[in-house]
Amino acid sequence: MSASKSFLAQDDKITSSQAALVLNNTMLGAGILTLPRSVSETVKTPDSWLSVLLGGLVVMLVVILMVKLSLRFPGKTVYQYTQIVIGRYPGILWCLLLVLYYIAIAGFEIRAMSEVTMFYLLEGTPIWAITIPFIWVGAYLVRGGINAIARVGQIIFPISLFILIVSYLLSLRLFHLDNLRPVLGNGIFPVIQGLKSTVLVYSGCEVVMTLVAKLEQPKQALKAMLVGISIPAGIYFITIIMVIGGLSVDSAVTSTWPTIDLIRSFEVTGFLFERFEFPLMVIWLMQMFCNYSSFFYHSSLGVSQLFNLPYKSVIFALVPVIFLATMVPKNINEVFMLGDDIGYFSILLFILFPVTLTLVALIRSKGGPQHEKS
Amino acid sequence: MRSLKFLALLLAVAILITQSGCWSSNEIEDLAVYAGMALDTGEESPEEKTFEQEGGSYSKQNKITATVQIVPLKTGSKDEVKGKTSPYTNITGTGDSILEIFRQFSLRLNKPIIGHHLKIIVISSQLLQQRNIKQVTNFMLRDNDIRPSVKIFLSSGKALEALTIKTPDEVPSFYINDVVQNQFRTSKIMDAVLLTDLDAMMHSKQSFILQNIIQAKKHIEFSGAGIIKGDTGRWIGNLTQEDVECIDWLTNQGDSGTIKTYDEQGNPITYEMKAMKTRIRVESDQDNQLTFQVHVETKGRISEDWDMEGNPALRSYQKEIEKLFKSKLTSMIEHLLSAMQNRYKVDVAKFCQAVRIQKPGLWKEVKSNWDEAFSASKINLDIDLQITDFGSTTK
Repeated sequence: MSASKSFLAQDDKITSSQAALVLNNTMLGAGILTLPRSVSETVKTPDSWLSVLLGGLVVMLVVILMVKLSLRFPGKTVYQYTQIVIGRYPGILWCLLLVLYYIAIAGFEIRAMSEVTMFYLLEGTPIWAITIPFIWVGAYLVRGGINAIARVGQIIFPISLFILIVSYLLSLRLFHLDNLRPVLGNGIFPVIQGLKSTVLVYSGCEVVMTLVAKLEQPKQALKAMLVGISIPAGIYFITIIMVIGGLSVDSAVTSTWPTIDLIRSFEVTGFLFERFEFPLMVIWLMQMFCNYSSFFYHSSLGVSQLFNLPYKSVIFALVPVIFLATMVPKNINEVFMLGDDIGYFSILLFILFPVTLTLVALIRSKGGPQHEKS
Repeated sequence: MRSLKFLALLLAVAILITQSGCWSSNEIEDLAVYAGMALDTGEESPEEKTFEQEGGSYSKQNKITATVQIVPLKTGSKDEVKGKTSPYTNITGTGDSILEIFRQFSLRLNKPIIGHHLKIIVISSQLLQQRNIKQVTNFMLRDNDIRPSVKIFLSSGKALEALTIKTPDEVPSFYINDVVQNQFRTSKIMDAVLLTDLDAMMHSKQSFILQNIIQAKKHIEFSGAGIIKGDTGRWIGNLTQEDVECIDWLTNQGDSGTIKTYDEQGNPITYEMKAMKTRIRVESDQDNQLTFQVHVETKGRISEDWDMEGNPALRSYQKEIEKLFKSKLTSMIEHLLSAMQNRYKVDVAKFCQAVRIQKPGLWKEVKSNWDEAFSASKINLDIDLQITDFGSTTK
């Protein structure tokens, strides 16, 4: 294990398909369970699927910008090149925001996971009994670096995707196309308004700025990252179509966990399972685990690179911090509010990191070809 | 070093085996699983009255009576299920909170009741005359055990009696649940309204119908549908069986349907629908006066004809009969339309969908008082009925 020598193993690189998968896993988490409600609440018409697609496009533009920025500093993560671009101390300050954001999302994902598990699956189990093992096992995975996370993702994602698709296909019996009509009945305005809440479900795509540094072949970075963002966009799109088509906008808005409620709204007699919410939830737990691990990894990496601390010690130091982040919301309303706040924070980070940083880098001509020479 | 590693491994395995498990698991044999629920107006049952005389009471108002049908999960000894014991137990409680009534059952039962396997809820229309449907189903919508796939029915009589019907070796709840499957035989059975549909319809405040169940001498029949008015959530009346059939004709949902009419001599003839297609076009003038153009297209066969002389194989004869069926279907639909527009003043045949989809701008204006706008609208019927087949005999 050469990884134990330094905080960052030199050979801890991933292939472009692994990078795409990590990006995908970083976005696909608990959001899918509440997405139809949160988007429908703002859109209020069946056009929410358009918002999700449009939101995906907007985020893709941001991702392109992030990739371009990262490629100016080959092999360097955002934590390292921010310090080059805007100076050491301001850089650390900016990146701390990013680290905080990752920790908040990691905590939020675990909390949302435990809320839905406690409600439907393990009623009566105390919250710490669900979250603490999750955090510990995550710490163990994160210890292995990005490679381990990517490989676990490679195993889990096909399974969770399969179960999700099977559940959706079975829900077709409830599907009514009329629920999705009319298209653009109230014009384009509601769709634009919905963008606000759809951008939130893509929060976490900031990890692009570290993933690019981990690529074996940085030339494929753009392609890999765009693939990585298209998969969740596609899954979100299918989710909206199935849930709104199956339950109608009115039911999606009133339901706390609309995606689960869609699966709970039918029974399949004579199939392997009669009820699909249980396999879906159990499998999706693994997906949420990958999701959380990715954020855990990125925050640990951030702290260790910002303060030159040993990576593995940072992981253990962050375990209680993440647990605290998980326990901050007092009730389910605060969990959902935290989710919204994270979304708004991500918009701030969009502006701060890719946009401002690129501009400053261009003005001060940091990075790029000259940087490689020096 | 090696032995230490081995010890650690052993410890890990030991912990894994002994410490893992379900935190709050319950053996299914120790639970009272209920499959059906009936909601009636608050009237205490004789047992309850006796209990109260004995001092068994708590602070409550008798607003609602809830009955659950508990299905035993006895595996193994078959003769116990056969014959002697009835395959279910019903327990009834009265109060003003369904959850509280259910918790009160724990004082009377040896097992906790659990709603994971609830299939049907029967609500008496009398209860819905007094209370908003939103109030009485609120608990079911919030509860995490009860699934949104539960089917909702109305009962003209006492709902709890629907759960005591005589069925051969079967639990009444499952029996009622299965009747819905006969929908492919008759369109008098409407699409079951699930809890999740109910949630959506109550949220959008539209009026809707629920399948009505009537009873006679411990037997049930699905008959017509009860209308729930959207803004008040109250039951306001029933549609007849034929009205329910026509709703299928109007909403383009029927897989099955027959039309029976009489020829000039009074002989019954019956048409069996094989295919149908209904289109509703919405037109409106400046004053938002709506006109619906309903176009029904159907093809089918003559399945029964008591007329001795006529020859169903002849096209001319078929044409004559087509006219009869057409006028019968028209009068059936008109009966439904007049019930909706004049008598109850509600739209339960999803005309609102047509407006919502075809005229979204207009829909925003009329949405808030849709039932009135619908009642004032004009509906033009256009039926295209074709006999394509006369069965396996020509005469």
